[in-house]
Amino acid sequence: MIKSIGNMQNTLKSYDMDSWSKSVDVGKELNFKELPSEKAIGSEGNESFGDFLANSISKVNNLQQDADFAMEKLASGKSQNLHETLLTVEKAEIAFKTMNQVRSKVIDAYKEIMKMQI
Amino acid sequence: MDLLKSMKISSSGLAANRKRVEAISSNIANAQTTRTAEGGPYRRKEVVFGSEPARDSFSDILEGEVDLDAQTVHATEVVNSNEPPILKYDPTHVDANDEGYVAMPNVNVMKEMANMISAQRAYEANISALNTSKGMAMKALEIGR
Amino acid sequence: MKVNDKTLQALASGLKFREMRQEIISSNVANAETPGYKAKRLDFESALQRALDVDGNMGMKATDEKHFDVGSGGFDNLEPEVIEDPNGVVNESGNTVNREDEMAKMAENKIMYDALVQLMNKKLALKKYIINSER
Repeated sequence: MIKSIGNMQNTLKSYDMDSWSKSVDVGKELNFKELPSEKAIGSEGNESFGDFLANSISKVNNLQQDADFAMEKLASGKSQNLHETLLTVEKAEIAFKTMNQVRSKVIDAYKEIMKMQI
Repeated sequence: MDLLKSMKISSSGLAANRKRVEAISSNIANAQTTRTAEGGPYRRKEVVFGSEPARDSFSDILEGEVDLDAQTVHATEVVNSNEPPILKYDPTHVDANDEGYVAMPNVNVMKEMANMISAQRAYEANISALNTSKGMAMKALEIGR
Repeated sequence: MKVNDKTLQALASGLKFREMRQEIISSNVANAETPGYKAKRLDFESALQRALDVDGNMGMKATDEKHFDVGSGGFDNLEPEVIEDPNGVVNESGNTVNREDEMAKMAENKIMYDALVQLMNKKLALKKYIINSER
């Protein structure tokens, strides 16, 4: 019994922590300055907020039309893709409701500003 | 309306298959009957199915209108089988004829059991069709909820 | 967003045709052992696709009421076709119904029917949402 415990300990020692995990020396491998960074949306400079808003609304409209087409295809049997249709419809619905919330917030902000007394 | 007609068609299938099971049970129960009211051994009963167009009401029949040509099924006739009775040699039997042969009913119990299983499966299939039609009607009630 | 747009009509037509198909399938199942009965099929896909013209490929105008409705979304004179199944295998009593096949078709029909009901609910819910959103 004691011998087996000794054997066990020997086995455990031979596999110590360091040899299990390969630690990466982060500092050497990554150079943070060269990582590509995403530009903040709308910071192209020339595009005004109004244009950006109009763009988004037309995108939402396109999603709605895609959803309509997908539903028509499913109803007429042209497409048998049930999950794709439902996903398209969900995407369109989420985009629309998000846009609606944005609209609410914009109106709220406007009202807030109008409340300010000069 | 269409779904109600579907349910009527399925229920006609259920009724027809039930009649079939009735005939089969009668056959199995009388597999050894040598004496019947008409004289002679029991003759095996068979059910003949026939289909006819599903009509909603009498006015449909008057107008001769057939919507979709969907057919209900009817157990149109219960006929006695035309096969000859089986002659078994048993001179000790009460109903033995002069040569010692007894006319036994032409019922093969194994075949009847197989028919019964087939009738049961047909019954279950019709139940499934009925449930599906009912499910569709209930789903339609959920529109807009 | 129109109140009664083409998509809603398409979904409603789909529902109606699937109900008809269920009727035919029930008839097939009930008559699975009737001698001489041939399995029937209902085909609405071609008529509905023509009426919807989803891809915009067919540019035909319907000027007379007897013309097929192509793309204009006219759903009133859509007629489905009831045909006998050409692939049916005839057994010894003249019956071509394959019961397992019918059950499979019935299941598929039911699933698509439920899907159409769900899509219609989604569309109606969106319209109600618009009506109800305040400010």
